[in-house]
Amino acid sequence: MSTQVLVVTGAGGVGKTTLSAALGVTAARRGLRTCVMTVDPARRLADALGLESLDNHPEPVAAQPGLAAAMLDVTASWEAMVHRHAEPEIARRLLDDPFFRALADRFPAAQAYAAGEQMAEHIESHRWDLVVVDTPPAGGGLDFYTAPGRMRELIGGRLLRWLTGASIPGRRALYKVTARPALRLADVVLGGPLLEEIADFLMDLRSLYDGISRRASAIENHLGEATSIVVTTANPTPLREARRFFEELENGRPTTVVFNKQLPETWTDRASLRGVDLDPDTRAATRDNLARWASEVRLQHEIKQEFVARYGLQLLEVPWADTAPTSVDLLADLLEQAPDLVAKVIAEPNSDHG
Amino acid sequence: MLDCRMTFVSGKGGVGKSAVTASLALQAARRGQQVLVVGMVEGIGAASHLATERLDYTAHQVRSGIDGLAVNRSDALDEYLRLQLHVPRAAPTKVLSRALSVLAETAPGVREIVTIGKPVYEMWQANYDLILVDAPPLGQLFSYLRAPTTIADLVPAGPIRAQAERMSGALADPEATSLILVVTPEELPVLETQATLDRLDAEPVITLAGIVANRILPPLGLSAEQIAGLPDGSHRAAAQHHRAVQDQQERWLNELPDGPRLPYLFGIHTPGEVAEQLADLWDDQL
Repeated sequence: MSTQVLVVTGAGGVGKTTLSAALGVTAARRGLRTCVMTVDPARRLADALGLESLDNHPEPVAAQPGLAAAMLDVTASWEAMVHRHAEPEIARRLLDDPFFRALADRFPAAQAYAAGEQMAEHIESHRWDLVVVDTPPAGGGLDFYTAPGRMRELIGGRLLRWLTGASIPGRRALYKVTARPALRLADVVLGGPLLEEIADFLMDLRSLYDGISRRASAIENHLGEATSIVVTTANPTPLREARRFFEELENGRPTTVVFNKQLPETWTDRASLRGVDLDPDTRAATRDNLARWASEVRLQHEIKQEFVARYGLQLLEVPWADTAPTSVDLLADLLEQAPDLVAKVIAEPNSDHG
Repeated sequence: MLDCRMTFVSGKGGVGKSAVTASLALQAARRGQQVLVVGMVEGIGAASHLATERLDYTAHQVRSGIDGLAVNRSDALDEYLRLQLHVPRAAPTKVLSRALSVLAETAPGVREIVTIGKPVYEMWQANYDLILVDAPPLGQLFSYLRAPTTIADLVPAGPIRAQAERMSGALADPEATSLILVVTPEELPVLETQATLDRLDAEPVITLAGIVANRILPPLGLSAEQIAGLPDGSHRAAAQHHRAVQDQQERWLNELPDGPRLPYLFGIHTPGEVAEQLADLWDDQL
């Protein structure tokens, strides 16, 4: 069967990683061979999954049969990418180049692109019924979708074309740096041999264009077929990021938005102390506390209704867990309380008569 | 905490650093200071808390006593060339800035020094009593703060190096520049803050002015026994919830040095209201 993909995305701090893990556990318990790819799990979540020393290679989760987990290693992904797309000599040169290492560390889309590469690998291994991808929080999660295009632009874009003087150079043409006189002039003004040096590095980088361009298209295709789940809380900052998926993404608008950490609507009911005998201080403290949280519940309600109405979405919620889940059972419990979400995003395993 | 001429406000993403930046600006303006708020990554964060649409590269007044601007890279690059490196008018600026754009995408520190150069330049201009910088989140903070040093290591001589050295001097000068870290008492924000403190010890590129703990729950006023004695229902559930979150908060607050604490604001949702309420609270805490 083909591999189903869930891309779990959203701003930092909304609980994406926990929810990804919970979806993985739930799917595995339904009999799907599942791989969860995490980015930067909190210690206790990593412990819950037994992720002590994980890397890009999926390892079985001992506590949950049918589930494997991997953790994104950006540096290793970039190295694998260079080896895959560059001729051996250029690959060696690039991996030794301080500029290249800086690029892997600092290019804004570097982590997001590496995550995309890993996602594609897990899908293309055909080992899984379901791949759950927890995405890096950069750009509110939007970077994950734009990274393949930005990678193409970085390596084949305007600035490098200006340097190389050809639209897409064949490897033989790479010795020619048409902008060299301008770079030399710039170096004279700036007082260092920086730009000329960097030009050589960029020529090497440019030789990756064909390979990376094909790979970026493959990642974009996988993204187009994946189910995107935008996770948010009912707070203004993550919601503003969630809104960007609808306002800025041309293709692959998500259909699933999950409100995480939601308080029970029943807290607006103030009747539970009626007829109960309490001393006045306890009664006052209890009432004040409920009033505070009820105001938060009403605010969350208002915000959620406005959001789902605006974009025509089904309201999907996951309740607030008082403590972070520390075992696969607790992860599964979290989604027991969100049956609508599970029904919407996790397909039943293929039945035998199908 | 606001004694310097320029203060950077950072923290893990989502802890409320833009709100805290805006509230400090409002507080300083109330005390009669002329304040400039600089959004270093994108214009929307601090801008929305100061109830303005967005901030541009040119400073303009957003409130009485508060101007705001947001750094964008291409304007910053042009300005860096003209004003900081004093590239003469006759120089082919267009070619230079294209060449530098290539550099900014690839060489370590160039993009960052151009961005952080803007608030530092504004401080040197001395048009304001206080510059508050809505800085990049913790994960990126050091690549900005260290950028002048990185550049100085990379460039052997010349105006870029001279300017980089002057800039790292200004950032490290405790009279001129300080850093405020915002944290919420939760696992990941606290661990990242601790890692930042360790890094600051090892590389004192800036002086820490304080750690602000944000979204602290008020005391509940009920003991565990009292909660257990409540009848089943919303009152008990909300009390248990409050207690559980508060226990977690206490645990993580204990991991941090003391500092100002800002309360959780219940039922408030416009960013402008959040900043105003927090600004009121600074009356007692600064």
